[in-house]
Amino acid sequence: MKWTLLITVAVLALLLSVVLGPAAVPLGELLRSDIVWNLRAPRALLAFLVGGSLGVAGAGLQALVRNPLADPFLLGLSGGAGLGAVLAIALHLSGPWALPIAAFIGALAALGLVYRLGLIGGASLDPRILLLGGVAIGAFAAAITTAIVSLADAAELRNAFLWLWGGLSGASWDSVLLIALYAPIPLVVLLAASRPLDLLALGEESAAYLGADVERVKRRVYLAASLLTAAAVAVSGVIGFVGLVVPHIARLTWGHRHRSLLPAAFLGGGALLAFADTLARTVVAPRELPVGVVTALIGVPVFAFLLRRWTIA
Amino acid sequence: MLRRLLLGVLLVAACRPSGRPAVGPSQRIVSLLPSFTELLFAIGAGDRVVGRTQWCDYPPAALSIPSVGDGLPPNIEAVMARRPDLVVLYNAGPNVTAAKQLERVGIHTVLIDLNRLEDLGPAARTLGRLTGREEQAESLAIALDSLAGRPPPPATTSVAFVVWDNPPIIIGHGSYLDQLASQAGARNVFGDVAAPSAQVSLETIVARDPRWIAVLSDSAVPPAFAKRREWRAVRAVRDGHFLLLPGSLFGRPGPRSGDAIRQLRARLSR
Repeated sequence: MKWTLLITVAVLALLLSVVLGPAAVPLGELLRSDIVWNLRAPRALLAFLVGGSLGVAGAGLQALVRNPLADPFLLGLSGGAGLGAVLAIALHLSGPWALPIAAFIGALAALGLVYRLGLIGGASLDPRILLLGGVAIGAFAAAITTAIVSLADAAELRNAFLWLWGGLSGASWDSVLLIALYAPIPLVVLLAASRPLDLLALGEESAAYLGADVERVKRRVYLAASLLTAAAVAVSGVIGFVGLVVPHIARLTWGHRHRSLLPAAFLGGGALLAFADTLARTVVAPRELPVGVVTALIGVPVFAFLLRRWTIA
Repeated sequence: MLRRLLLGVLLVAACRPSGRPAVGPSQRIVSLLPSFTELLFAIGAGDRVVGRTQWCDYPPAALSIPSVGDGLPPNIEAVMARRPDLVVLYNAGPNVTAAKQLERVGIHTVLIDLNRLEDLGPAARTLGRLTGREEQAESLAIALDSLAGRPPPPATTSVAFVVWDNPPIIIGHGSYLDQLASQAGARNVFGDVAAPSAQVSLETIVARDPRWIAVLSDSAVPPAFAKRREWRAVRAVRDGHFLLLPGSLFGRPGPRSGDAIRQLRARLSR
């Protein structure tokens, strides 16, 4: 029942985002329209894939650091991606894919530094050090970014921030293909870690007693979730909120078993982002809202409602 | 010792000539907007400009004036180092704060609005009054006023100004570029957007199907987004109908606005 409902919602969100848009496309011409084929369809799919990836990455990271505030971008990735994007513009790297690639490399660099910091004090990836390291590296990258933006001449640099918070405007079949080929690998790695992630909730020691290879699981989950997030940043910038709230909503409904929690977070995140992007494109047409604003405006009330219902029950 | 030091400071302070002009035209002007620099030169007060922003690149003579930085926001100490008796600033938030600080150290400032064609005449007159070049300013202002008051010719083509590609930011109604387009005989397809600039969806650009995509750029080659697949959905992009407009001439209202309109019209009819 729960699953039928979720799958229906997800399909509906995808359909809506193909049917609705600021340009008037008659229903009869929907399948022949250039706008639908080349712009709406790839954007809807990209929104779904990115939203789903952020949902799963958030769920994995929250379990890993055992902190409900964890969010895929908390661990320094948005700062690293922003620095990469600004550097690409400051160094006049041209080409249609220069910004996404630079942002991806920036996110990977931040990931590497935070990972290295997390390993301080032995081979155990300490969640507290991971969180602190993520915040510190993120702040450091943001400071360098601001310094470059304020010192460099190009007015274009200010636009790097627009790109970073840009959402799904750059969607094309190219970016859909990229994510569709890339995301399944970390997604499968996370799903395969479902059982040890369940055990990890009991505490690292207990998990180890129950047979989980705690160190290996922590490393795998951290790397897989971060690699997912880095790819999401490269194709759609920093989209807040999906990775924070969707896992909680999924947990309130599906419980703490990651084998069902992770797929639910994927479908829920995908549906939320596809639906939010539809609203972002249509409610103030011909203008457009930043999609992160809409994800927060939808997600928070839903979250508050569920929280209230479940704590009273 | 301390007393002598204090006395010295007081003496220096007393000897420093007050920046505020008692009477008469300003002799040392720092201009903090390229448009003001162009206007000052156009009314024959260019030789009194002692400081400019790094963006002030016209007329060529302006380049030999020391730069006080990018002006965003103004570097107060760099401006003061030019010992101006007048600082001309564009009327916007950070500049209002900077003007207050300059006034506090006794430097006369003036904040001028300059967003649209019709602001040019009043700006020229204000600068003429401050520099004692009223006559030249008046004749320039009359020409600029008539430019702004001219009814636009019927639109024969259409254009979208793309400021940024991801997310797509376009120029809407009420902006200087919107005015340039209509004076040059082109309809801004986003003329219904009541904001100087706004984020829109790519499919809106496809649906409104402008004949030209205009980009402020000093480069001779189309922008990088022309090669991106999602932008190929826009017909003007597929057809390579890009108008690459150098920012120095097209990006700012000024005494050359008439030239900008003429050049834009010529390029649109090609």
